[in-house]
Amino acid sequence: MPKNTLISLFAFFLLGLMPALEPAGAADAKKYQRTIEAYAIPDVVLVNQNGTKVRLREVLKSDKPIIVDFIFGTCTTICPILSVGYANLQQKLGANSRSVHLVSISIDPENDTPKVMRDYLKRYRAKPGWDFLTGSRSDIDKVMYAFNAYIPNKMSHYPLTLIRSPRDGKWIRIFGLLSSSEFMNECQKVGIR
Amino acid sequence: MTSRGMWRHGRSFVISLLVLIAAVGPQVCPAQNSAGSPAAEKIRLGEQMYREGILPSGEPLRAYVKGDIPVPGTAFSCVSCHLRSGLGSVEGGVFTPPTNGDKLFQPFQLLFKGLEQKYFPLPPRRPAYTDATLAEVIRSGATPTGGTLNDVMPRYLLEDEDMALLLSYLKGLSSHYSPGVSATTLHFATVITDEVSPEERTAMLAPLEQYIAIKNNQARAYRAPGNKSRQMAENMLVSKELATRTLTLSRWILKGSPETWRKQLEEYNRKDPVFALLGGVSSGEWKPIHDFSEANRIPCLFPITNLPVISETDWYTLYPSKGYYQEGEAAARYLHTDGVLPQGAAVVQIVRDSPEGRALAAGFRQTWLDSGNGAPLTVLLKAGQTVTKEILRKATGKKNVAVVMVWDGPECVPALQSLVTAGKRPLSLFVSARYLGEKLWTLPEQIRPFTYISYPYTFALSVTYSAMGNAKLQEDQRQALGQADVTIKNHAQEIASLDTTLTQIVTMALMDLRGNYYRDNFFDVIGMIADQPSSVFGRLSFGPGQRYASKGCYIVQLTKGPRPELVKKSGWVIH
Repeated sequence: MPKNTLISLFAFFLLGLMPALEPAGAADAKKYQRTIEAYAIPDVVLVNQNGTKVRLREVLKSDKPIIVDFIFGTCTTICPILSVGYANLQQKLGANSRSVHLVSISIDPENDTPKVMRDYLKRYRAKPGWDFLTGSRSDIDKVMYAFNAYIPNKMSHYPLTLIRSPRDGKWIRIFGLLSSSEFMNECQKVGIR
Repeated sequence: MTSRGMWRHGRSFVISLLVLIAAVGPQVCPAQNSAGSPAAEKIRLGEQMYREGILPSGEPLRAYVKGDIPVPGTAFSCVSCHLRSGLGSVEGGVFTPPTNGDKLFQPFQLLFKGLEQKYFPLPPRRPAYTDATLAEVIRSGATPTGGTLNDVMPRYLLEDEDMALLLSYLKGLSSHYSPGVSATTLHFATVITDEVSPEERTAMLAPLEQYIAIKNNQARAYRAPGNKSRQMAENMLVSKELATRTLTLSRWILKGSPETWRKQLEEYNRKDPVFALLGGVSSGEWKPIHDFSEANRIPCLFPITNLPVISETDWYTLYPSKGYYQEGEAAARYLHTDGVLPQGAAVVQIVRDSPEGRALAAGFRQTWLDSGNGAPLTVLLKAGQTVTKEILRKATGKKNVAVVMVWDGPECVPALQSLVTAGKRPLSLFVSARYLGEKLWTLPEQIRPFTYISYPYTFALSVTYSAMGNAKLQEDQRQALGQADVTIKNHAQEIASLDTTLTQIVTMALMDLRGNYYRDNFFDVIGMIADQPSSVFGRLSFGPGQRYASKGCYIVQLTKGPRPELVKKSGWVIH
């Protein structure tokens, strides 16, 4: 096969991949994707940053609004932005920071030990009300499947924020990275002030 | 590694298409500025801003991300996305372009095999940055072409003086190829200490040298003009010249006492500078070699040692596991989470004063303390001293002692029987499978019900390849799984298996380097690769800055009878 034909084939292949990638070097015109979802939470026991075992169903069955994201301790790009979003929300809520329960679930459960998670939260100056959960790989997989967030390899993950309304137990599913005002706006819809 | 497998690596291929491949000639490393000089201090301050997000004043850099989210530099800094080498990354659907000295100051366009790909929206073309346009884009996101950077790139509020330091650092960052790189060759070495047996030396060298021979045979064949396979390889490979580039591997044999190793290493490196160290084997502590790598910033990938340096911040050695230390960690985590230890009960460690014993005890102690427990008691066994009934009786007789760790080799096994009869029987006894070796199977029957064994190997004969999820496996992946799916019978086979995994990692890393032959980029790209199967550890995982690939260790017990089996008492990773 002539070389140019091969290159064209690869170029065609590449074209198909384009929408999946967002260049950090270009202006971002796209808004985030938002849907309303209902999820069945698996009955798994996870471990928080203090080494305490917690039953996920009980954690997520709260009278408070809950926000869930999927991150890992040594992540480079996505998780830091999600986490500064959490930190900034806590900052804005000030004394009311415990009016919402922020939950980060590890997608690198083998490396994310309670100590790694404690250090991570400290780096983001997390206040009480933000928990980082890890567990066995099979339990973490169950959680990712339940939230339609399964990724086979942590390095190919994507930004997802899930906001649970205490009123009806429904979840706002946000795909993409939010600005502070966009995040606050979504939070207000479930009663976070 | 088959020749076919060597070129098949979908992810790096895709990434490669997206990234500029610059035709940079091989050059030597920039002259090192002597430590403490004004120039060196300038680099240090720039590096501190880039890596740690700390200004020369000691304050964190201030920035905004996504338009209005304030970010302290300590939460994340340049290195988070652009990585240590500055070559950038692709993660979570965000493409981070390179910001190293070599790329910033020349025009940027999307090239593939030297041809510009004009019909794609990314990455954007731009002219070469100047100091002024670079400062502007870092502060405001405004690009020299009138565009705006994506708002996941923080906008940094930097004073002119600090900006000058950062720009100066970026100019020197990955601006010249690292040592060990020539126009035609990538040069590596492997370190072997002379006490390693010929069998184990061969087990380490054979897979590595065979791998390099296959790669070089291909390169040789491809050099023939009109070779069809070469055309295919050049198109498949992300850096065209990788098809014909030769790999070389020197053996750096270290002789005599460990105190003299550093000097020998420096001498080898002076005469024969290498891009990186691959594999290597020693039965002693790896520290002298680790320190050499760290000081000279030479990556050392997958040395075969169970006595690595345990550090959360060191960068230049990536170990297969934490070795003995990891078993001690697992014992502590199991004991802590199991919750059977009565209130106020104490733990005593009987520790052989050997590198293995000390590593097991250190792993237990640190993890035990980190979990909020009190320090364990320690009884040190000096050289020539064996575990006796009396030592055990004294240890278990100490106040409140409920758990005994015996971090000793096979010679301790006969005495352990006395725990049944002598004085107070402990609630549980912990031993190391790796340290006991084959004597593990001869643990006295009466102690088996309360003996817990740290077992750092996989159980599964059929390893999982979870990076593929539940997807149907392609035939070549099945073959790769088949290669990994062997039963390990002795230490030499363990070494050979780990080394085969090493060659797979090298294959991926060489392609992911995308022709950017900088030592820091070597570990940056390895930090991004997917989990790999291992017949020794089941699963090896990587990640930015992660330096111990196997993360787990089972706690097991032995069944009764002359041919006992292992029974898992914990998961692979205990939290």
